[in-house]
Amino acid sequence: MTKQTNLKRSTLISIKQLQHQYKGAEKPALNSISLDIQQGSVFGLLGPNGAGKTTLLSILSGLVKCAPNKVFINGQDLSKNTKRLKTFSIVPQEYAFYNRLSVIENLTFFAGALGIAREKIETQINSAATATGLLDRLTDKAENLSGGLKRRLNLAIGLLNQPTLLLLDEPTVGIDPHSRNFILETIKTLNEQGTTIIYTSHYMEEVEAICTDIAIIDDGSVLLKGPLDELLCTENNTLEIDLKEPLSQLQTEQLNQLSVTSDASLRATQQHLKFTLNTEAELLSVLTHFNKHLIKTTRIHYGIRNLEDLFLNLTSRSLRD
Amino acid sequence: MKLFYFIHKELLLIKRDLHGLLLLFVMPSVFILIMTFALQNQYSSSSDSQIDFYLISHSNDELSQEFIDSLNNTANFKRILSDKSEAELRPAVAADQASFFVVLSDNFSVRLANNERVLTLETAPGTTPVMIELIQSQLLQKVSQLFIKQNLADLLGDDDSGGSFEPANFINTKSLYNSNLQPSSVQQNVPAWLLFSMFFIAIPLSTTLINERQQGTLARLKTMGASQLTLFLGKLIPYFAINLLQVIAMLLIGIFLVPAIGGDKLQLGNSYGGLILISVCASIAAVTYALLIAQLADTVEQATILSGVCNIIMAAIGGVMVPRFIMPETMQAISNYSPMAWGLEGFLDIFLRNGNAASVVTESCYLLIFALSMLLLSLFIAARKQIRSH
Repeated sequence: MTKQTNLKRSTLISIKQLQHQYKGAEKPALNSISLDIQQGSVFGLLGPNGAGKTTLLSILSGLVKCAPNKVFINGQDLSKNTKRLKTFSIVPQEYAFYNRLSVIENLTFFAGALGIAREKIETQINSAATATGLLDRLTDKAENLSGGLKRRLNLAIGLLNQPTLLLLDEPTVGIDPHSRNFILETIKTLNEQGTTIIYTSHYMEEVEAICTDIAIIDDGSVLLKGPLDELLCTENNTLEIDLKEPLSQLQTEQLNQLSVTSDASLRATQQHLKFTLNTEAELLSVLTHFNKHLIKTTRIHYGIRNLEDLFLNLTSRSLRD
Repeated sequence: MKLFYFIHKELLLIKRDLHGLLLLFVMPSVFILIMTFALQNQYSSSSDSQIDFYLISHSNDELSQEFIDSLNNTANFKRILSDKSEAELRPAVAADQASFFVVLSDNFSVRLANNERVLTLETAPGTTPVMIELIQSQLLQKVSQLFIKQNLADLLGDDDSGGSFEPANFINTKSLYNSNLQPSSVQQNVPAWLLFSMFFIAIPLSTTLINERQQGTLARLKTMGASQLTLFLGKLIPYFAINLLQVIAMLLIGIFLVPAIGGDKLQLGNSYGGLILISVCASIAAVTYALLIAQLADTVEQATILSGVCNIIMAAIGGVMVPRFIMPETMQAISNYSPMAWGLEGFLDIFLRNGNAASVVTESCYLLIFALSMLLLSLFIAARKQIRSH
């Protein structure tokens, strides 16, 4: 994992009190949203269904017009400078391509629709197909691809114009873990190559894995925004440990003998342990105990909040609602 | 250059849409073949169809026999000989086993001399009023001949004077269509069903457009900078080309396939310019109409039902299913409002009336005005939908 932290980065997109209401809607889809998205970041946009994520992506992709002086791209007003959008690309949540065309036919058509010069089309297609692992599936009809490969084709189309900003709307919905990992790795690689990414997802672990910055929005308003590491970092003294397998009777008894657990500060479910510690020495004592008794763990968190908990605290509902 | 990719993509999609191709090419071909042969006898001047009839005579005199002989020798009339009685034959005619039934009264000659009724004509339920009039006029003509002959003989007192009484062929009948050709079923049915199929392009066109809208492809293309005009032309041009292919295919069926299986050959008339003009205008009308259907409908199911119903109504009032010339005046007036009627009249101007490009200008203008209004309405609805989604 190669998360970029707050290095010196310039602001690519600046959104200032953006408001948007659809015709006939009772309330605004976006309600005075202000955000800064840094060049080279992977910006996670989180929110439950209907929060306003897609509206924001639609405005940034030029699909929905925005009011003047609300969205600035590299300091220039988006409403007056739509040419900038040519270096942006959106990958919608739907499979937005033609099922009856082959992979290569789809890529060729969309490259043509983007206005890519004829002599460059082949190179661009090769580049996009390579990045998404579709080179050996070029002649397959899109309708015959698996869900994961369809997602990759959806992404490949978004890469044809070699975007400086890639807007990804739930790019891993409904696919198997292998394809999901492939897409996440592709996104990380693209980011390492300099592409700024705005990413919406329902999957917290994905956001935690690839995003450098996040904003949580609900009912059209930003509830929380900032670098992910800072938002998750906390002063609390909670130690959380996920176990590979449930503790045995003996292991439970041994754990109960630890001084830190004597004051009922340990809360345990079958494979998840939560300690409230008073001192750094207690942390050392717990970790030493696990090491000594060969208790296998999958995750250890100390002083870091879980994104799911953070989200639940803010919105009072699950992201998947 | 972008447009080339849109057109190419659309042609690939059409090529792989088997149902769409069946609808656009196989359906009209089948209709043309079925309707051409079904209506062949209604149009053909050298028809070999026979009008069957039964005859019972209660008279045995010479004139009644002469009348029967004359009727037996009438072209297209075919007497069904039967030993059955009048009471037995009547139900047979009522069951459409013959078109009409003639009963000659007793004392035929005396009644004729006294200017009295000499026969009864009874018609079958399936005999049309036009056919009844034709039969009546034939019978009246033959009775009149005998009446005149009888009266002349009485007047001249010469029994033989009327023996060779036979009217000359007073009327010289010529078709103004062409010196050698007659309007035929194929001339009516090829353009009629061709137009019907051209307007059915609404189903595949709206299906692809609605699918693009629902799958987010249209939105994606808009984010890529595709203009509304490119999107529209990218649909209209390929389907316009398909329409012209339909024209060529259906004309070839009329020219080669129909005669090969026993029908009349389609004659294209004398103006290829006129034919091209009316074909192009009909196609423009059809594709813009299809575009409007695609804008009006939100789902493929809606588009299929809407275009299907509208097409059938336009075809029914436009003279596709029932030729306009047999419609009553009111229906013919209503028919003037169907674009299929304008197209059909244009084709018939060329195929039947020796028309040229100038002859089809009026119909072409109607079709283009229709197309323009369809296009403007489509743009208006597309713009409204876009505003609603903003």
